[in-house]
Amino acid sequence: MKTWQYLTDPVLREIFVPPVLAGLAIALFGGVLSALVVMKRLAFIGQGISHAAFGGIGVAYVLGLGAATGAGGLSLQFVIVFAFCLLAALQVGFLTHSESGRGSTGKSQSDTAIGIVLVASMAIGSLLLHIAERNGRVATVSWESLLFGSLINIDMTYAVVAWGVAAVIFAVLFVLRRPLVFWAFDEPAAAAFGVRVRVMRLVLLVLLALATVTAMKLAGVVLATAMLVLPAAAAVQFSASAARVLGLSLVFAVASVLIGVVLSFEFDWPTGASIVLTLAAIFGVGWGRARLGGG
Amino acid sequence: MSGDASVNSEPIIRYRGVTFSYDRSDSTVAPALDRVTLDIRRGERLGILGPNGGGKSTLLKLTLGLLTGYSGTIEIEGRDPHAAASQRLIGYVPQRVEAELAFPISARHAASMAATLGCSAFGGVPREIRERVERALEVVGASGFADKPVGRLSGGQLQRVMIARALASNAKILLLDEPTVGIDPAGQRQFAELIARLHDELGLTTVVVSHDLRTVAASCDRVACLARTLHYHDSPQGLTPAVLAEVFRHDAAAVFGDLHVDAHRASECGHDHGHEHGHENGHDHGHTHNHSHRHDHPGGGGGKP
Repeated sequence: MKTWQYLTDPVLREIFVPPVLAGLAIALFGGVLSALVVMKRLAFIGQGISHAAFGGIGVAYVLGLGAATGAGGLSLQFVIVFAFCLLAALQVGFLTHSESGRGSTGKSQSDTAIGIVLVASMAIGSLLLHIAERNGRVATVSWESLLFGSLINIDMTYAVVAWGVAAVIFAVLFVLRRPLVFWAFDEPAAAAFGVRVRVMRLVLLVLLALATVTAMKLAGVVLATAMLVLPAAAAVQFSASAARVLGLSLVFAVASVLIGVVLSFEFDWPTGASIVLTLAAIFGVGWGRARLGGG
Repeated sequence: MSGDASVNSEPIIRYRGVTFSYDRSDSTVAPALDRVTLDIRRGERLGILGPNGGGKSTLLKLTLGLLTGYSGTIEIEGRDPHAAASQRLIGYVPQRVEAELAFPISARHAASMAATLGCSAFGGVPREIRERVERALEVVGASGFADKPVGRLSGGQLQRVMIARALASNAKILLLDEPTVGIDPAGQRQFAELIARLHDELGLTTVVVSHDLRTVAASCDRVACLARTLHYHDSPQGLTPAVLAEVFRHDAAAVFGDLHVDAHRASECGHDHGHEHGHENGHDHGHTHNHSHRHDHPGGGGGKP
């Protein structure tokens, strides 16, 4: 049991504890946000955000911030990638849900435009990463850890950032919980009762971008957004009550992060893959249980 | 605001020359609404009847502040639609298909959503508001299934919950969009009884927007007929086949197909008036398209009784 060694040995513990702490913060906000994402059917935005993030990461690497550690470099890198993610979230979130009255052709055109921008961002990202590697801005680009997550990326500073992000997300969700839930449940009616639906959508998209950027180091670019979808997607297989879905979603997110991090340590698996597969397994159990008459 | 249901007091909603186009860049397209003028009286039960594509949902969205860019004036208790929405003056009851029914919430929670919007973010829901929600659920007869998840309610039950949501918000006006679509005949009867009870007991102003003559006839005292502009008549009984034919002539088959006797008389009258030209001349620009040909109906533009 490597995990046990890591926990008991004071030196190794310093490697093990930060990703666990960061992972717990990510699990908490991922569990809650995923409930809104699933209910509002925004899962596709995650794909957009992760594509765009790649462009942001490319820019960061070319600027020599790729392997940045410590507060300064880390926060600059964070800001660059967040800017890309936010733009993608806003573009996808508002263009695909533009005001009614727009014809179907207009919508499919904006779908195409979104697709092109996101794919281009991904392409630019990979190109810039390549250039950064060529120019010696970074020794080697660790593609695997970039795409699928790694524990080595995460130090104590990052764990603190993750908890800060969690605090911000929880504060915003708490203050806006009533209009947000009304909006998510019944958008036209919420608007008619005075909920500012565009503000609600904007708030959720900003939080999603923030959450994705934070989860990215742990779970990787490709799999970070799964953390914002799968916990609640699994939870709704088990219950139809809002409180229980939220609770289960949190439990699943925390459990899968812990299990995933341990698996990652034990077998040197990519962290994101371990976490996401754990979540997928929980989803599979719930799906089977709901479909095969178990519950 | 004394709950006085007298029909002689100030109108609760006042439309003056309301005109709205979805595509203002193209002047050859007839507006979705053309100079609609209408007073909705305090405490009345008004039906807004019209064919699909006749501008009903446009008028509804304008009234709720969901669409902007109209000309003319809309005043709800003297306020513009945006101000009215933020003060929750109108209790909107949407068509049932619009809510996310997979949402894991109870009927009670759904009914409380509008009422709790004004509560402080830092704290629970005050008892007064919780009681108001319970009373609303009771009035609409939804107490028995208040704990059920919304996804397991029947169409009629869900509608009651939506009405309770509007009542609990303390709205002065109940605005119902196609309230009998997808509701079985027994549910439709119960709906008409409920509207009558809300009117009698609470003195609410109710506005039912529908393409279905039976719905309007069963739940309203007064009818305004909307087909791009307003064709007005004072009571369902007073609606002559000629007026109906005028309003519905574009899709008489679609609307009157299930109306039996009235349908025949109405469409015959339509023929007598010789209004069949331009029948299929609708523009194809999305779901809000309108009947495009112009006509100069005597009632056009002025709906005042």
